Amino acid sequence: MVQIVISSGGTGALAQWVLLELQGEVEPRQSGDLAGSLLGDLHYTCEGVPVLIVGHHILYGKVVQLEKPFAVLVKQGGASQPSPVGAHGHYAVTALIKTKLLFKTRPKPIITHVPKKV
Amino acid sequence: AAMRSRAEVDATLQTAKLNPAELLPAVHCLSFGPQAGGGECCLLQLEPGLCAELEAGRSLIIRGEKDEHAVLCSKDKTYDMKIADTSNMLLFVPGCKTPEELNADQASCNIIHSQIAGFSKNYWELRRCRPKLKKLRKLLMEDPYEGPDSRKDQASTFSKYTTEDLLSLIQASEEEILHQLQVIDACKIEGYWRILDFDYEMKLLNHVTQLIDSESWPLSKVPLCACLEELGSLEPREMIEHILLSYGRKYVDDGEVFFEMHEDKICRAIAQMLLQNAVKFNLSEFEEVWQQSVPEGMTTRLDQLQGLALVDKSSRPETIFLLKVEDLPEDNQERFNSLFGIREKWTEVDITPYIQDLCAEKQTVGALLTKYARSSMLNGVKVYNSRRPIS
Repeated sequence: MVQIVISSGGTGALAQWVLLELQGEVEPRQSGDLAGSLLGDLHYTCEGVPVLIVGHHILYGKVVQLEKPFAVLVKQGGASQPSPVGAHGHYAVTALIKTKLLFKTRPKPIITHVPKKV
Repeated sequence: AAMRSRAEVDATLQTAKLNPAELLPAVHCLSFGPQAGGGECCLLQLEPGLCAELEAGRSLIIRGEKDEHAVLCSKDKTYDMKIADTSNMLLFVPGCKTPEELNADQASCNIIHSQIAGFSKNYWELRRCRPKLKKLRKLLMEDPYEGPDSRKDQASTFSKYTTEDLLSLIQASEEEILHQLQVIDACKIEGYWRILDFDYEMKLLNHVTQLIDSESWPLSKVPLCACLEELGSLEPREMIEHILLSYGRKYVDDGEVFFEMHEDKICRAIAQMLLQNAVKFNLSEFEEVWQQSVPEGMTTRLDQLQGLALVDKSSRPETIFLLKVEDLPEDNQERFNSLFGIREKWTEVDITPYIQDLCAEKQTVGALLTKYARSSMLNGVKVYNSRRPIS
């Protein structure tokens, strides 16, 4: 039987991350993969409403405390890891997510002012 | 990509016609981290209690044979796993602060450059399920222990199982496995979990009940020491103690160990011994022989046989036959198919002992019947039959 261990370093080792939930797909503006490219600016209003500016869009969202938190698992490589139960795979819990920023409203397009040539 | 500056952020705000006065001063500039598209990270949605397990540093284990659905086990619970797709994009962001955190920390930087660690359109979803424990009994029944005199054991080529072995073969948490081992009266012999061969078990029980009778001990106060002394020459001491533990409740009185014998369990075992010798019995004959076979002072009752035997009230004369719930399929639909194959229509009273163990955490027998059976009235009594035609 396959046994995959999901190990945790405990509270000290677990970071708290935040989930951003967006509608649709995220694609890079230029061709090439996403790694390293900018997504946008995240602001909060004084009332605590998250505002995300992505490209030409403004997205308004809300902060949601998750009823069921998430664990972020990272696959551990290295077949030479000794394990008591004969594990056939190993994930480590890197972080817990207890909060998400949910952006469900339709993005408001930003109309940029095209300067006229004089 | 170069990191954004405050000036650039402000320019964007202006273009977007957002009023900085209505916003908290800090901004998160989000970019995708170097590993972001790698698919190295995935999300596991945590049922209540699992978050605390991970925070305490405990591990979870996913278990399954290649042809089984995977389950996830904590130290004491088992969950079905499946992938849930969302139509939304989920981005996981380390170091991203909530408005509360920003307000609480007045000295926080004006610009927080956050790197998105990864993203996903799906996550692993869990649902608490019954541990798959039928296999445990099956494994231990491969080689039941027949006693120290059994030549079979010495030459045995059958697999014997330690706790670790069981953990690697059964889709259940460790505590659920250990609890079930107790429920089925398994014992550890030379480090291996064994179930007693039924005939050997009855032999041991018989030694004890005969001794209780000859010593005139009350059934509620059977002394351990005396049992070990009197019976130690006949059987291994561990086996004598094991049978007392299986059929009695251990307690200490005035420094001495006693057992309060389980009348119901003893009567039930003796019934099984009688019933396993034929396909079915005349009910009234059986009841007479059964009462005569149990130890002095014990009273037999049909309700002691729930989940072990079934009475056929429609036959003339009425009959009784062995039907053990542990011999029936573990899967809900298969269990109901099997039961309806044995008898077309069941009353709730008759079927309950045979489906009770299928109930999920907060599920009732009634809910199971609603889902898997159809009800009708027969001679003024509500009965259940299959929802589908049984060939």
